[in-house]
Amino acid sequence: MLNISKCFDMTQALDGVSLKMYPGEIHALVGENGAGKSTLIKILTGIQQADQGEIRLSGKPVQINNSQEAQAYGIAAIYQEPLLFPDLDVAENIFISHQNQGFFVRWNKIYEEAEKILNDLGVRIDVHNAASGLTIAAQQAVEIAKAISMNVRVLIMDEPTASLSDHEVNQLFRVARQLKQDNVALLFISHRLEEVFEIADRITVLRDGRHISTNALSTVTKDSLVKEMVGREVDQFYATGKTRVVGKRICSVKNLSKESTFSNINFELHEGEILGFAGLVGSRRTDVGLAMFGINPADSGSIELEGKTVKINSPQTAKKLGIVYMTEDRHQLGLAMPMSITSNITLPSLSRYLGKFGIINKEKEDETANEFKNRLQIKTTSLEQEVSTLSGGNQQKVMFSKWLNTQPKIIILDEPTRGIDVGAKAEVHAMIQELAEKGLSIICISSDLPEVLAMSDRILIMREGKQMGIVKSQNATPESVMSLAMGQNKES
Amino acid sequence: MNGLLHKLRPERLRELVLLLLIFVVLLFFSTVIEYYLNARLFNRVSTSVAIMGVLAIGQTLVVLTRNIDLSVGSMVGFTAYFVGQQLSQNNEITPLVAIFMAIGVGALMGGFNGFLVAFCRIPAIIVTLGTMALYRTLLVEYSDAQTVLTVNLPQWLLDLPRFNVLSYERLHLRLMVAGMLVVVILFQLSLRYTSFGRKLYAVGSNPEAARNSGFPNRKIIFTAFVMCGALAGLTGFMYLARFGNITVVAGSGLELKSVAAVVVGGVNIFGGSGSIFGAVLGAVIIDLLENSLIRWLQISEFWRDAMLGILILASVATDSVIMKRFRDYRLKKLAQMNS
Repeated sequence: MLNISKCFDMTQALDGVSLKMYPGEIHALVGENGAGKSTLIKILTGIQQADQGEIRLSGKPVQINNSQEAQAYGIAAIYQEPLLFPDLDVAENIFISHQNQGFFVRWNKIYEEAEKILNDLGVRIDVHNAASGLTIAAQQAVEIAKAISMNVRVLIMDEPTASLSDHEVNQLFRVARQLKQDNVALLFISHRLEEVFEIADRITVLRDGRHISTNALSTVTKDSLVKEMVGREVDQFYATGKTRVVGKRICSVKNLSKESTFSNINFELHEGEILGFAGLVGSRRTDVGLAMFGINPADSGSIELEGKTVKINSPQTAKKLGIVYMTEDRHQLGLAMPMSITSNITLPSLSRYLGKFGIINKEKEDETANEFKNRLQIKTTSLEQEVSTLSGGNQQKVMFSKWLNTQPKIIILDEPTRGIDVGAKAEVHAMIQELAEKGLSIICISSDLPEVLAMSDRILIMREGKQMGIVKSQNATPESVMSLAMGQNKES
Repeated sequence: MNGLLHKLRPERLRELVLLLLIFVVLLFFSTVIEYYLNARLFNRVSTSVAIMGVLAIGQTLVVLTRNIDLSVGSMVGFTAYFVGQQLSQNNEITPLVAIFMAIGVGALMGGFNGFLVAFCRIPAIIVTLGTMALYRTLLVEYSDAQTVLTVNLPQWLLDLPRFNVLSYERLHLRLMVAGMLVVVILFQLSLRYTSFGRKLYAVGSNPEAARNSGFPNRKIIFTAFVMCGALAGLTGFMYLARFGNITVVAGSGLELKSVAAVVVGGVNIFGGSGSIFGAVLGAVIIDLLENSLIRWLQISEFWRDAMLGILILASVATDSVIMKRFRDYRLKKLAQMNS
């Protein structure tokens, strides 16, 4: 019997949270960003230590001072972005932490065992492949295999599905259920409630570092959970797309192709229209977005903007033409974290703020930043603060401000609500709707199917670089979009 | 308290700490060395800071973009020799022409570095390690192992280091020092208030985001290297003026000192943050310690070399221990205030 309970007090991060996990059970942990989920995981895996309270394993109190000790107790975690050694192969990655059994590495045994573990999980990955070539889903499978090889008793899955397609999520869930049968205690953390309902046995809600509730799945509903998470009533999870009147055609894309990436993409975009891009991971939706923004230009095909054929081969050109792309990766590609909110907002349109001798007009800059702060309700005490001090949702708003300030005609949003909490998500949705109503044309790439369906006027569905079709969202159902995204003759 | 936390960015704190450190160093040596605090100390230290400071500015520009320039010492040596040689052969060259000649030669060499780093995508540490040796060899070849001698130089150049802008009793503000101050202020302001400065920080703190914002990253990095070269050229001219006799080893070791000044001054070696003012304060500390230790007879002169190393390590250590804590604490506090 496995029994972990913790009561501790880390100023604001966690305040007397208790959690019991049982072997052979999938326990879901939900809460808005900043609810304390990550802190809890860090304590369980020994990255941080609790100030108060204790962890009990099978009834015995244990002290976990670092991740090696956590591993020794059989506690492992997998994350949204797996941390593998890219240059080592799959088997080496799986057995990386126990190669110290004997002086020589017994390679044959390692490959054999790695293969066996992966087979048992029902995952087909060549153990000789380098980790760098694997998809994120496969990398997670390798992480899980690694945990199994160390006799895992408690497996923590921290937003494992955030970068996975639905098909891959199903695969992951199959693995999770398998582990459950093997009497592993699983802790599953996700922002997607649908998934929680699909897989969890019990659900714990955290809010502001406090334990709100722990209930069996059968006794809760989506609404009751959301209510507990945000601490207020949320009428509608998604702002339903009002029937907007779309304007005249602004852009038409014909036969856009890029060698071994995507081919023959055709669509039209109208003023005030939201065109959703749906598809599984690996469907190359992002690559189409990057091509239109000139980061990785297309090889052939044409883009027509307001009747004129344009050639886009750099972000500068795209920006000038009024096409901007908002990345899904705020940290790596989107924001200059150590710089102030104001300077991030004006970064792409800096030339508008220059006076004599290239000197930046600070007043004008502050004016713009203030305007966006009010318009998008960026929560901050000062615009001179570094962007890194903001929460995920507010950072997303800074990204919006940054690109809206370039006064674009077309904005390409790549996973605009990825990794932000429920409340902020609703705000972002409302904002996108409002922008479209003001006549901005929006391409919205999203892996969140309910989101795409609710937001878009039309949905373009891609699969492995090919366009599978465009459907009107009124006529679309999650099933119809999914079957296109998966290729009709394949089962999910 | 919270308002203070806002204003007290880590680099500001760093500058305050450096000022405090300078004060402590002065206090310490004035108790162990007789007649330590006098006008000569100021005059001597300020003149050597003038040289190091200008060089540190150039290094800062490059380090801000996540690069490093190890060839600055060789560039200083080459320009000093080159300009010295020209002046020896032709005493009619006017000061302005000589200065521009130095800046031009430096910019050319910096441009070569920048071209290789920005456009051929070779890591800066490799490129400048290569050109450090290359420019030095160029100097040896060009000079034919001869030395520029003071006697052949025009009189105005020899008078330059002792030319004062302002004097108060025996305290002198040398022209060269005033010149450095002008350059410092110019660059400090332009990093803060011009688009070039903003772009430099942007490229250093997140190159991908900068590229997505439509910045010509390569051009910006190239420009940083050209400017670093130009400032090294200017340093070369000042070096010539100060020392007069230029041998083939002139300026060697300055690359280490300039990197030290930048790191001690709180410029992040991984780019994106730091200030010119900080780097110059770093240069002041290094020169002050060097000048003071010479006069402190208890310390063997071999240990003086170690001082530079200890200083670099100590400042990086404080950066990762104390400054990191402060940074985390501040971010946490501000994040709390935001939510």
